Amino acid sequence: MQKNLETAIVQISNQVIGKNQQIKLALTCMLANGHLLIEDLPGMGKTTLSHALAKTLGLDFSRIQFTSDLLPADMLGLNIFDSAKQSFEFHPGPIFSQLVLADEINRASPKTQSALLEAMEEKQVSLDGETRDLPSPFFVIGTQNPMHQSGTYPLPESQLDRFLMRIQLGYPDWNAEKQMLLSQNTSAIETTESVITVDEFVSMQNEVNKVHASDAILDYVLRLVTFSRETEGFPNPLSPRASKATLQAARAWAFLHSRDYVIPEDIQAVLPSVAEHRLRGSTSDFNGQSSLSEKLLDAIDPLAA
Amino acid sequence: MISSAKNHSHLLLTLVFFIVSFSLLEPVMSWILILVICATVMRTALYLELHKHAPSIRTLNLLALLSAIVLAYFSWQLGILLGMLNLLVLACSLKLMLLRSDKDYFQLITSCGFLIGCGFIFQQGIAFSLFYFALTLVLLMSLATHISPNLPLNKLIKKVSVMGAQAIPITLLLFMVLPLIGPLWQMPASKSHQTGLAEKVTPGDIANLSQSAELAFRVTFDGTIPAPQERYWRALVMENFDGESWQVSPDRKAIQRQYKGANREFSPILEGNYYQYQVIAEPTHQSWLYALDVATPIGASSQQKVWQSHEYQLSSISPLVSTFQYEIRSFPQVLLNQTLSSVDKRINRQLPEQGNPLTKQWVAETRQKYTTDDDFIAAVMFYFSSQDFEYTLQPPLMPNDQVDTFLFVEQRGFCSHYASAMAYMLRLGGIPARLVTGYQGGEQLDSDYMSVYQYDAHAWIEAWHDDRGWIRYDPTAIVAPNRLESGLRNALNEADLLLGSGFGQLSTVAWLNSLRNWLKDVDFFWTKWVLGFDKDKQQDLIKSLIGKITPQKLAMFSLGAVLLIFALIALFFLPIWRKPKQDKASYYYELAEHLLTKVNLHRRASQGPADFVSQVKNKAPSSITEPFAAITDLYIQHHYQPSSISQQQLIISRMKSHWKQLKQAMKKQKG
Repeated sequence: MQKNLETAIVQISNQVIGKNQQIKLALTCMLANGHLLIEDLPGMGKTTLSHALAKTLGLDFSRIQFTSDLLPADMLGLNIFDSAKQSFEFHPGPIFSQLVLADEINRASPKTQSALLEAMEEKQVSLDGETRDLPSPFFVIGTQNPMHQSGTYPLPESQLDRFLMRIQLGYPDWNAEKQMLLSQNTSAIETTESVITVDEFVSMQNEVNKVHASDAILDYVLRLVTFSRETEGFPNPLSPRASKATLQAARAWAFLHSRDYVIPEDIQAVLPSVAEHRLRGSTSDFNGQSSLSEKLLDAIDPLAA
Repeated sequence: MISSAKNHSHLLLTLVFFIVSFSLLEPVMSWILILVICATVMRTALYLELHKHAPSIRTLNLLALLSAIVLAYFSWQLGILLGMLNLLVLACSLKLMLLRSDKDYFQLITSCGFLIGCGFIFQQGIAFSLFYFALTLVLLMSLATHISPNLPLNKLIKKVSVMGAQAIPITLLLFMVLPLIGPLWQMPASKSHQTGLAEKVTPGDIANLSQSAELAFRVTFDGTIPAPQERYWRALVMENFDGESWQVSPDRKAIQRQYKGANREFSPILEGNYYQYQVIAEPTHQSWLYALDVATPIGASSQQKVWQSHEYQLSSISPLVSTFQYEIRSFPQVLLNQTLSSVDKRINRQLPEQGNPLTKQWVAETRQKYTTDDDFIAAVMFYFSSQDFEYTLQPPLMPNDQVDTFLFVEQRGFCSHYASAMAYMLRLGGIPARLVTGYQGGEQLDSDYMSVYQYDAHAWIEAWHDDRGWIRYDPTAIVAPNRLESGLRNALNEADLLLGSGFGQLSTVAWLNSLRNWLKDVDFFWTKWVLGFDKDKQQDLIKSLIGKITPQKLAMFSLGAVLLIFALIALFFLPIWRKPKQDKASYYYELAEHLLTKVNLHRRASQGPADFVSQVKNKAPSSITEPFAAITDLYIQHHYQPSSISQQQLIISRMKSHWKQLKQAMKKQKG
């Protein structure tokens, strides 16, 4: 594993105890230059994880708490008339940060949701006829409450698709939670130092793009997505964007494990996070074990010619 | 060693074997069928796990020896074909008891296929063909289940039906172009097989036939069809009367033999209007054929296989063991006076000396009154119409002086009673007369074809007239004119109809009737085009395809057909051939994987190589783990890392050496 990435993981896991796999997946997602969706009940450490990621990677961070009366302008910013200069001046909203935590994204009205998702896709914001670029790198970590909680607007499939990965944190195990209670260290985040600079992180992202994916791997990905399209039991088959996302995430995962080539295990490690929310669509339920993607993995032999 | 417990392929095979054996109920001996039942029960018990142990080989060897001796004893009577068939069924049932390896299983599958083929020796109807076809599919299902036991049922069915469908064009092609060879064996012709008319008629016999709705023969007319009352299908002429029954005269048989020996066929001079038609006769295991008077075979093949004898009777050269097709032309206006009258007269004046005094007396008195033959015959006919005769299927028993009882006491009878009595009376009156049996009428199904059933069987007489030869008289027509015009059903009373359950009492229900007719049409088509497809038809077909047959054309045609068959088979195998060949690295990896299965290390179907090798490392000793880890590394290198071709070759050779290492380690592990 990359030396400084390893340090980063250790540091983050001091904040979010016992969630090593999720931390790795979150880092993978960011290495693949994708947005992350964290879905879980309140109080599971979603916000802590995002904070820790931002601090460790040295990204400037802002948080938007989504509510049903949040307007797009509250998020994107707005032009305000400056009477001294006799002109309009742009006051950027919280979205102009390298890492944006969109908390409880499914509480916002569809209008605000789509404004965010547009910004995510285009990496720029259009306001009053003027286009402004968002900072680079730009990540959104959306958190989402389970669908059955009241006052939520489920994200449509087309918008779920914009998130490269979706992870669930779940309850920590006995020992981890005990350790968390013992430490009582609430201000740990404040003391966290960045271990990777932004430039280093961007060059890592470029490295990820160079990870070799052989023909056999491409065939494996294609077999997986084709199976989801040709077999009954998959209400939302995987799109070409999904296959691209899978491959990119697998590359990042391989890079995270210090390999410059993808092996089937990389695909298998990332597929549940990459594919499950796309396969399930808005009917998703948080405690749903990733059964659809697992069904997909079980059906395909990675070594078959 | 394979187990039958919950093994669907074995159950299906057992089922097919059981059904096939019982479809051969007639030719297979009953003690062999009992062995079949034993084997079936045994296999089913093993399948249901009611019982765990198959019988030992020693037991089966003893059983085989004993049954072989018994079979050898019976084979003397059976003849070679039936003997062999019995042997095959016996061997299969013993093998089914033994079944314990793949080899046994495949042998049984092949033998069952052969048994299904044997079924066609005895049954060729369309229903049986469909039945055997379905059985073949079940047999293939068993094979498919055996080869891929984990596939779901619907996939198996799909596979088998697709393969079956692929076989159909090849089958059709082979059916049409393969040279048709006659049977290589003598068909068994036991007495019990004989159906239809008999060579000896005792009044009352035909009444039995009348209760059978079995098909006798079918006719397709080219052009007009004769009216119902003219449809006298002559089959047999009986000229020997012993006071009770009529049979073919031994003198006549002697004459026939003489003519056949000299290869001289009776050929009457025929002219005038004619009906032309083809007859497809059902198998009777006898040799006579059916035709309207006066008939002659048309076309080279019909002329070759049909023999005309001096009673204007047609017969085939060999007994009818399967459906027999021939084409004839009948000239209704030609007189039957072209044979040697002296011989005919001598044979047809013979009388039994004993019995029937009342009839003798009646004839003597009447003959005194009517001196001319014509008048006398008219008087006899008048006797039938003036008295209160009844036409019935249930004539009373007339043990002694049959004719007397019939004419003067009971006055109830069937066509053969009337015909027999009248022929006897005419002979007493000094007029040569003979009994003719055959069929009368027929059910017209279409504008040009009709079916004649056993219940159309009929008997009538012929009397000699010096000028006009043999003249047909039918006393039944006087008593029951309906019999000729509208068939047997209308001529009978209610009680008889209820009794005669054989023929369609269902015909009142319209849709059943149309279904019945449709089935008859299908059956006709089957008989005509599939069963009747013989050498001549094949030649006609080839002729119509390539024109005049020359050796070159024929060679080209056969070559074309063979190529077409190969092309069709290739079409089936093409996807397999075109599949890319597995690369060497995968090959060695799979070999290594296979070696590991022997120490119970299986890669899950969805498991990746790196995942699997870590699992192996946890479970196996290092002597195995190390070479396998090396193989896995090389495999990953080959498959997932960028590498040049020369590197890849190096990788493969190293994989090979590691694989050998692994193999040796495994051997040591076992040793």
